[in-house]
This record gives sequence, structure tokens and C-alpha cells, in this order.
Amino acid sequence: MRSAKPTGKFSLGMFTLTIIFLYMPLVILVAYSFNNSKMMAWNGFSLRWYNELFFSSENLWHSFWNSAVIAVTSASVSTVIGTLGAIGLYWYNFKFKKAISVAAFIPMLIPEIIIGVSLLIFFAGIKLQLSLFTIFLAHTTFNIPFVLMVVMARLEEFDFTIIEAAYDLGAGELQALSKVILPAAFPGVISGFLIAVTLSLEDFVITFFVSGPGSSTLPLHIYSMIRFGVSPVINALSVVVIAGTVVLAALSRNVVKYMFQK
Amino acid sequence: MRKSIRTICTVAITAIALSTILGCGQSKPKLFIYNWTYYIPEEVIKDFQKRYGVKVVYDMYASNEEMYAKLKVSGGKYDLVFPSGDHVSIMINEGMLEEIDKSRLTNFANLDTAVLPLIKFDPGLKYSVPYAMGTAGVSVSKKNFPEYKKSWHILEDPALKGRITMLDDMREVLGAALKTLGYSVNSTDTTELMQAKALVMEWKKSVVKFDSEAFGKGFAAGEFWVVQGYAENVFSELDENAAKDAEFFIPEEGGPMYMDNMVILKGAKNIDLAYQFINYIHEPEVYAKIMDFFMLPSINVPARAHMKVTPHYQIDDMLKNSEFKEDLGGYLELYNNIWQEIRVGK
Amino acid sequence: MKKNYGPVYVAPLTGWLVVFFAIPISIIVYYSFLKKGFNGGVMHEFSLDAFRALYNPTIFKIAFNTFWIACASTAVMVALAIPASYFMARSRHKNLYMLLVIVPFWTNFLIRVYAWMAILGNNGILNSTLISMGLMHEHIQFLYNTNAVILVTVYTYLPFAILPLYSTIEKFDFSLVEAARDLGATKFTATVRVLLPNIRGGITTAVLFTFIPAFGNYAVPQIIGGSDSYMLGNVIARELTVTRNWPLASSISMALTALTTLGVLLFMRLNRSSMESARESATSAPVKTPQSGTGATA
Repeated sequence: MRSAKPTGKFSLGMFTLTIIFLYMPLVILVAYSFNNSKMMAWNGFSLRWYNELFFSSENLWHSFWNSAVIAVTSASVSTVIGTLGAIGLYWYNFKFKKAISVAAFIPMLIPEIIIGVSLLIFFAGIKLQLSLFTIFLAHTTFNIPFVLMVVMARLEEFDFTIIEAAYDLGAGELQALSKVILPAAFPGVISGFLIAVTLSLEDFVITFFVSGPGSSTLPLHIYSMIRFGVSPVINALSVVVIAGTVVLAALSRNVVKYMFQK
Repeated sequence: MRKSIRTICTVAITAIALSTILGCGQSKPKLFIYNWTYYIPEEVIKDFQKRYGVKVVYDMYASNEEMYAKLKVSGGKYDLVFPSGDHVSIMINEGMLEEIDKSRLTNFANLDTAVLPLIKFDPGLKYSVPYAMGTAGVSVSKKNFPEYKKSWHILEDPALKGRITMLDDMREVLGAALKTLGYSVNSTDTTELMQAKALVMEWKKSVVKFDSEAFGKGFAAGEFWVVQGYAENVFSELDENAAKDAEFFIPEEGGPMYMDNMVILKGAKNIDLAYQFINYIHEPEVYAKIMDFFMLPSINVPARAHMKVTPHYQIDDMLKNSEFKEDLGGYLELYNNIWQEIRVGK
Repeated sequence: MKKNYGPVYVAPLTGWLVVFFAIPISIIVYYSFLKKGFNGGVMHEFSLDAFRALYNPTIFKIAFNTFWIACASTAVMVALAIPASYFMARSRHKNLYMLLVIVPFWTNFLIRVYAWMAILGNNGILNSTLISMGLMHEHIQFLYNTNAVILVTVYTYLPFAILPLYSTIEKFDFSLVEAARDLGATKFTATVRVLLPNIRGGITTAVLFTFIPAFGNYAVPQIIGGSDSYMLGNVIARELTVTRNWPLASSISMALTALTTLGVLLFMRLNRSSMESARESATSAPVKTPQSGTGATA
């Protein structure tokens, strides 16, 4: 699997190009967060936006924490549900299997605003108070099909004789799941989780309809700034978030490494 | 290694638990406000909380239409909302608003009596209290385009091709065209609207995009020289020096005006607090602070004396030729079809 | 296989989607057969108005335009993502790279689009760099046209192409390519004919993950596009909010969903059969056959 053969120059080139492409706007963003002016032209180094961010942006932080909590919880739950579903759909044969596997991706195809309104009508109908919890329910719903599909793509062409072998050697269902199937699916599970976090952090339309008092998220906060212009404080916040992610990633590096090497 | 997984989980759970506790822990009375981000400066809200020992929960929406679609299905437990005039009349018709007892608002008398009779969306202001009034005019970069007449015809200047943006809002764009042709911004006459459409198609030749989201940034970057839009949107992107090179004007033909209003939702739980808040907003010192922040004209007469900043335009400039937007009712579909045809270039 | 645990695995998925998707969405589907309420919402009176209103040349034109932009962006994304994720999968720093690809997307979309405006603007970084290098004298208009929309759409959804491709390529047995080369295939044919059929699930997923959101997106065209850019997602959102015609918003969405579902099913079938025929005609390299072919990529 892990042949040490150097990879091709072409793929290295394309990867480098991709990374440059992805990070170009971020470089700009970091630069602007230190700009003394609110305009795009550079006007000297300044920490004024950070100052504003840390000392007079309570509402913004409130929205940010809401977003973070929702992203982590909804991505985790949808990853569990999606992964189990993918394993079940791929590994077993049962009634309605094909119908379920086709129907499960339909939520991806429905325009966001329709999902948002339908959930709002539904929540209002069952008298569920709009809150962070309803946002969590909505985000988990639109994340599930993405996780399901990534994990299924990973499982495709998976060598099932390994699992058969595990059973033959007397492994129970739980053992087979934790020792064989999950490790094999792991990169797919991680990809699915990351996609879910990203989708959740980005969503504006659905969140708008299912959010309740005090549960505004970061995208809601930023989009409704449009009327008066989006403040560069958001640039500063983005830089803090990126830095925070890097630190967290470094801290959890050992964990991931451990999980990968089984 | 397993330990670090456990640590991370513990930290995550604690964080979630803490945020829930912090969220529900306060037992102060709460007022739930639904409004645009920053439409009330955070400072003003803080002062209110301090003075009355209450907590304000402030949630945001990005457009009247989205706010309405949401509240139509579920009131969402908000007390105070800030819809524009046309949406006030819709919400009245749908029975979504609580009547306002003006005897409880000592500061209601501060409102400009020249403006109030013009309000047709809520005749007699039974359900709403005006918050702020304004208009989408034209901002010009004088550095790049020094000579011009203050008219919508500026949009036809061939020298500005590719340098103009207009709002992505059918009422504002068609309203400007209707006014240029001498009609009402609320016209429902097909012939008048067709003429307006033809005029917008003429303008479209020089308009690089219809945009309500980033035109201020583009203007600040020197990309656009003439933009239709709200003054505060453009000038909030400019620093002091750049603001000197820009001018905002209301075209002589006039255009659509808006009035944003404070309304109390039916079934609101904190009606007393809502009254307190409305009254607080119209205290002259407080109101002056808000209008200074946006550089908007004050509809609160005594507040004008307290303002430290000259607004981009005065109430009188607007009252000359501009008109409030009214709800179009059944003619909305007609406007929408015209707008779609304009946008796809037919 | 002993006991069939399949339904147990699938139960949470099915239950969740029935409660939070199927039930709510059926309310909206029901709305499309009703009369529109005067101020939004619906009147509980049967009507096919919303479906009659679908036949509208303007909507067709908008739909075609949207489809075209989504196709072009998807093609670019997948073309970029296959080699990039191939590199990631073969590298020793997989996790680092995976994080590297996704982290930019944890800052707000609008903020990133503004950054692109600063890069591509007429007085932007790219134009000023090119001019100061003496490569040109006049600025080039990068923004506010279809190319700009495609570029920023690609930027917005690229990781959704990379991540599924990466996780499928990661398990690919690279010795197969070497085996094919030993049998005389050139590097290119070996890669194309052995690798591609083996990662078709990843490709399908990548195409779906990018095409579908690109098709529904209207924020990018609204900010980066020109005065003509108007997307189908925009039409639906406006019917729901601005014109308050909920049945029409619903009927357009239903038509759209039905068409895309058909398209997706067709695409997966074509993809499968072409990949299979490619595999059959491929070198005699020992390619594994899948355990079961049923609904695997769905």
C-alpha cells in the first residue's frame, strides 16, 4: 500500500497549484486584517481590527461560538449516522436497500431555501421552539447524505474477503466493525466529517430559517451586515480562526496519527 | 494516546455545557429584537441594558423578504422587529402586529410632523413607530468623474460604460426609472412599466452588474465610479480621505424612499420592555447617536440639535420629489416578470 | 455472513431522513398543488397554477445558463482534483494535506469572495502586478463575467471534489499501475486505464458533490458575475421571498429535483458502463472485481 516510490511530477505540480489557488485569498485576508484602513488599499500596519474584535464584538463572538458548537456536534452525529448507513448499505443485502441508497442522496438535490422553509414549517407544526437545537437538527440532516456518499465511495471495491476471514476466525459483529471495517473506511469517514464541518460552517440559507432567538450563527451575522458593509473585523476573526485551527490540529496530530496507524 | 482523545472529548463537552449554562443562566428580563446587524449600534444597546437592568437578545436578518417569510411561518418569539414600510402593511394585513398605544410613548411627539402624514403603509401609525428614513441615491467618485448633473440620466453617460452598478432590487431600479419618466414609484400601469423597462435596458448597457452586496467595496477600490445605492453602504467602506473624493446625491427626479419602523409582534411576551425600548430609541440624545453612526438624517426633531455629524442628505432633499415604496400586492408578479426579463437581457 | 445486521446499520439513517427530510419536504410538495396565499404561504385550495407557470421561456433560459456554468465548473474541479488527490494519497503527509485543503473553507464564504475581488479587480493585485512587470499597459477586466464566475465557483467547491477522490485513491493498489507498465503500457495509459476504473466511485461522488451545489448556487454569480448573471437558485429564492409565490417556488424546485435525480441516475449508469468497458479492454493486469455491484455508488 504505502510504496515509497516518488510520485509523479505532474501530480505534484497540480497539487502545488491547487494549494496556491486555495491560499491566495487567505494571504490577502491576513494582510487586510492588519491594514490600518478599512479600504482595500494598504495604509500601514495596525491592530485596530483585532482591538475591536477582542474588546467590542460580543455579539460576533456569540455567533461564532454558536457556529462552532453546531459544526462540531452536527458533523459528529451525521458522521456516525452516515458511516453506519454506508456500511449497512454496502455490506448487507436486504429489502429496500436499493431504494434507500437512491433516496438518501435526494436531500442534496433540493434547493437549500426549500429545505429551510420545509423544516421551519415542520418545526412550527410540532411546536418545537426554534433554537440552536433546531439548527443542529437541520445541519445534521443536510450533512448525512454527504458523509454517506463519501464513505460509500471509499468502501467501493473494498476487499470483502478480509471481513469474511475475520468472521471465519470467530470475530463477532462488533469486533469485525471496530477492527476491520472502520479502519478500512477511516479516510472516508474523516473526509466525510471534514466536509460536514465545512458545510455546517458555511450554511446561511437553511440556518436562517431554523434559527431562533439568541441562536444566530456566524454566517447569519455576516450576511446581515451586508446592508451597511461587512466590517474588516471579520477579517481579523477569520485569521484568529485559522490560527486556532492550526493550533488545534497540531495538538490533535498525535491522536490522528495514532488512529491511522491502527 | 487514548488519554489525549479523552482529553479532547472532555474539553469539547465542557465547552458545550458551559455555553449552555452561560446562555440560560441569567434571569434578567429579556427583550428579543430582530433586525439588521448593527442597525442599532452595539453601544446604544449596551446603554439600554445598563439603564434598565435587562438583557437584549439581538438576532439578525439580511432582508425584509426573508424576515417576513420566516415570521409568516413561525413568530420565532421575537418582541420587536424593524420592517420597512411595505412590509409593515403586509404584516398588518396578515394580523401579525400588535397595536401600539402611543400614550405610552412619551417621545413619540419628537417625530417630524412633516414626514408622518406621508406614511400610507400604516395610516395614522396604529401599528408602527418610524425608526429611520432614507433613500437609495447615487454615489459618484468625483476624482474619476468630476462633472455631472444630479440626475438619473448620469446612468446614460457613455463615458461611464462598465463603471456603473445598480442595486439588485427591482423596486429600486424600476422605481428610479419610473421617477425619471415622471411616474410614481408605485406605478402599476403596464404602459408606464414597459417604458420604465425600456429605460432600464438602456441603462443596462453601461451597468456592469446589479449588486446589493459588494458595490460599496468595488466603489472604494476605484472599480466603480457611479453606483446606485444607500449612502451608508458606500461611505462605510471609505476612510476619511477617500470620503472627500466621493459625493452622494439624490437625483433631481426623486426616487423611492424607505422608512424602517419598529413594530411589536402579536403574541410578544415582553411588551412592556418593547415599549420601553421604542421610547428609549426616540430620546433625542440616543437617537442622535444612532443617526450620527450612519450619517443619516434624523426624523426626530429635537435629536437634530444633538447630532455631531452632518448627514449625507437632509429630510427636505428627500421630500422634494421622492416617494415611499408601498406594497404592490397582486402586481408583484408583473414587476417580477419585468425584472427577470431585464436580468436575462431580453 | 451469519446474521443480517444490515437493517440495524441503516435504521438511524432511514429514521433521521424520514423524520427531518421526507416529512417536511412532503409538506412543500403538497404546497405546489395549492393556490398561492395573497401575502405568501398558501390557500388550501387545489390548483395547478404553479405547474402551468413553469412553462416560461425566461425560466428555461435561466436554467440553461445555470446548467452550463455548473458543468464547466465541475469539469475544471474534477480535472484539478484527480491529480491533486492522487498526490495526496501517495504522500507521507496525508492528514496534513487533507487539513491543508479544507482549512481555507473554515473562513466565511463572503470574506473569501471579497478577497478574490481584491485579487482580480481592475486595480487589484493581479492587474497591478502584471502592469508593473511591464507585461501589459491596460488592465484586463477579470471580474463580472462568466469566466470569473467559473473561477470562483471552482474555488468554492474544490475541496468537495478533492476529499472524496482522495479517500478512494488512498486505498488504490498502486502496484497495479506498475504491473500494467511491466506489461508494456505507457505511464499515461497505465494510469488512465487502471487507476480511473478503480476510483470510479470517487469520481462519481466528486462530480455530484461539486455539480449539485454549483447548480444551486447563486451567491457567486450575484457578486462576481455581470449584469446578465441570474441563476435558477435565485429564481426559487425570489419566488419564496420577494414575490411570495410559495407554490411556484415549490413546483420549480420539484421540477429541478426530478430532472437532476434523473440526470444523476443516468450519469451513474453511464459512468459505470463506460468504466467497466474500459476495465475489460484494459491490460491484463490483475484488477480486482467488486464484491457486489448493486447500488454501490448511490
